[in-house]
Amino acid sequence: MQLANVLGTVTATVKHSSLAGAKLLVVQPLMADRTKADGDPQLAIDTVAAGVGDLVMITSDGRLLRDILKSDATPARYSVVALVDDVTDFSARKQAPSR
Amino acid sequence: MRLGQTIGTVTLVEPHPTVRGGVFRVLIPLSAADLAAGDPAAGDFGRSAAEPLIAWDDLGAGDDQLVAFSEGGEAAQPFRPHDKPIDAFVAAIIDRLDLPARKTT
Amino acid sequence: MFVALVTGSVVATQKTESMTGHKLLVVEPYRLDEKARDRLVSTGRTFIAVDTLGAGEGQFVLVTQGSSARLTPETKSLPIDAVVIGLVDSVRIGGKNVFSRNAQES
Repeated sequence: MQLANVLGTVTATVKHSSLAGAKLLVVQPLMADRTKADGDPQLAIDTVAAGVGDLVMITSDGRLLRDILKSDATPARYSVVALVDDVTDFSARKQAPSR
Repeated sequence: MRLGQTIGTVTLVEPHPTVRGGVFRVLIPLSAADLAAGDPAAGDFGRSAAEPLIAWDDLGAGDDQLVAFSEGGEAAQPFRPHDKPIDAFVAAIIDRLDLPARKTT
Repeated sequence: MFVALVTGSVVATQKTESMTGHKLLVVEPYRLDEKARDRLVSTGRTFIAVDTLGAGEGQFVLVTQGSSARLTPETKSLPIDAVVIGLVDSVRIGGKNVFSRNAQES
């Protein structure tokens, strides 16, 4: 799983059949500082009614996606599985030198 | 899935039998900055320097369209139960992209 | 997938059993020129890819990477992560050829 910011939403009429009815969010996976981007934004299937600006947890678990989309053959990878209220940083970990 | 801009097409003279008849599109993957630079869903793209990749397209995307594409193992999933050696797949043609942050920056 | 130039082949006498009899090509991924977008230029990287189509030196090929490389009947059981899935005829960007096999041969 990874923390991500919800940047926005997309709509698509022409799409793979498994994505019909799915809510697609544009999410930005985050680095350890929870500010910098870790790679390009990803499209994720929403399961928690997340909104723009929310800090969320995304997962690449394929089984959950297959259940949500009711498809054994979807090209999707990520789904948004939690709205994050708070993240506790353990101080020791924070002070540890970066790897 | 990432977002990308379609910019061209690759044609093959001798495709592997498993990919015969496929349409291969050239895509530029878009970063957050690229997405905020214009209105990609309306064909208004900045000029990303990212390295293009080639993706299987059976949705019929044209040039300069905003698409969602899958990578890696997921890109081959739509062909199940058949096997096709595909590592990038156009999964959707995006009509509309709403990035509220773009309006304020 | 990516477009790559075939620059060589690998000969290895001692290899894991399942690899016996498979042609291994050294390929160099090419990308669209970043600024002008009017030609293909080398990325300077290199990969080794299994070839089942008979690609030769100097030809441009389309290569699939990762677990998907095993999704052909010939590569199903091989410990590989790159396979040639076609010989490139042309690469068109914005309606113009930036690579054409015919132009390369003439």
